[in-house]
Amino acid sequence: MTGLGELLDEIVVDIDAVLLFSQDASTYERFENGDYPLIVVATENAVGAEQFVSLPLEFTDVTGRIRFGLEGALKQELVAEGDEVVCLTQAFDDAEIDTIVRIRADEFTQTGVYDLFVNSRPDAGVVRDVIEVAIDLGKKGQKGKPVGALFVVGDAGKVMNKSRPLSYNPFEKSHVHVGDPIVNVMLKEFSRLDGAFVISDGGKIVSAYRYLEPAAEGVDIPKGLGARHMAAGAITRDTNAIAIVLSESDGMVRAFKAGEIVLEIDPEEY
Amino acid sequence: MPSGWIDTVRTVVSEETVFVLAVAILVLGLFVAYLAWRWTHALLERTGISTAVEGTSFERTAQRFGTSTVGIIAQLVAIFVYTLAIILAFNVAQVFDADVFWSRVTNFLPRLFIALLAIIAGLLAAEKGQLLVQERLQAIKLPEVALVPTLVRYSIYYIAGLIALAQLGVATAALLVLLGAYAFGLVFLGGLAFKDLLAAAAAGMYILLNEPYSIGDEVRLDESRGVVQEVDVFVTRVESDGEEYIVPNQQVLRSGIVRIVE
Repeated sequence: MTGLGELLDEIVVDIDAVLLFSQDASTYERFENGDYPLIVVATENAVGAEQFVSLPLEFTDVTGRIRFGLEGALKQELVAEGDEVVCLTQAFDDAEIDTIVRIRADEFTQTGVYDLFVNSRPDAGVVRDVIEVAIDLGKKGQKGKPVGALFVVGDAGKVMNKSRPLSYNPFEKSHVHVGDPIVNVMLKEFSRLDGAFVISDGGKIVSAYRYLEPAAEGVDIPKGLGARHMAAGAITRDTNAIAIVLSESDGMVRAFKAGEIVLEIDPEEY
Repeated sequence: MPSGWIDTVRTVVSEETVFVLAVAILVLGLFVAYLAWRWTHALLERTGISTAVEGTSFERTAQRFGTSTVGIIAQLVAIFVYTLAIILAFNVAQVFDADVFWSRVTNFLPRLFIALLAIIAGLLAAEKGQLLVQERLQAIKLPEVALVPTLVRYSIYYIAGLIALAQLGVATAALLVLLGAYAFGLVFLGGLAFKDLLAAAAAGMYILLNEPYSIGDEVRLDESRGVVQEVDVFVTRVESDGEEYIVPNQQVLRSGIVRIVE
């Protein structure tokens, strides 16, 4: 037992901050009055913590969650680069803290995943809803077959001017927003159509069936990804929009911002 | 009071029998009152009133006295029924020869009952209303907003008090005028304050339904020119390099919007 205790002591010695990935009030109270800054990373600030990083998605894999929390804390300047941070999180159980991770705050190269949600043109809630729709679509597919989809979110005016309709717009004169209860079914049906979905900053679905025509020079995405990803990279480089792509071939959901992939989620694990 | 049949009874039977009859009515009244108490209790429990009022301050006060809101209402009903029985018995026995007095009491009794009910209902409704408004306003993080639920609560108190007093026959004309002035102020000032928002929403309805211009169109509005980025009920957002104009919808209708087609 002493060996274990020593190991734990070694892990938590000389740290600059604690990241608590839980919004459980009793857990929070246990660490609240420690001699190091406590940063709560959760979907909601239920405990009323002073230092709080909002988690837009329930990341299931620990690495993704810690990466997001660290990036958020760095962006909000709650921790500095080079700080040693201990993360208390859940690897298997959803409720209980079962994992302690010691990590340097600048361990990961910054991918901009926090920026994707917080500093993008569209609202964080809209980005989250679109990603959830894409994940849902990736999980179920269309009648069992894998489907692909491309959502361009935000800066809709400019995106509309850099694209043309492939056919009549089914969303004309409709006022559907992502996050409305019926939308998942609707988008699933329309994902059979070719072309991109255009969604405004506020979450209104402006159009389906759009053929994007951005300038594709200088877009650098991993080789092997198809035309859909290329179009997503190019449109986000050309406008202030972000793009969420569901790949038809490997079933992954990828988010693009400013021409770069910033987030990759496997719907099957989600 | 239906005194006709009482007189008939008295002519048919003797004095002693009348007295026995009065006592019987008293006993029967006691029984009926008990039944009424049971029945009200069961009814209020079954309709979920007792769970609805749980936790309100009136319920807490009632519980401190060893009863509950449902209990108080049921007791009121029982007392009402039993008082009626007593009056009936007295009338039959003619212990007092004071018909006028009793007829006034019987007229007054239901009103007192309704007044009491109005006060209890008012106390409960006020608290519930306050809670409801409070929950609605929870998203607005502004300390002054806390005033609104309190206002709702006292408004309901006032109206309940007014109903109760009117039932008892107290002159409430002055209080009614005050209520009218309050309601008028609320509607008038509210209308004045929300004038622009209402106009924008009315215009927004037309724009959203008919979509004379949509997201992505290039437009000119007064001096500003740009691309429409977002249209909602109240405003239209038009963007041109580095500048975003947030135009209230009624202005779009009033001054007209130029859609650039070429």
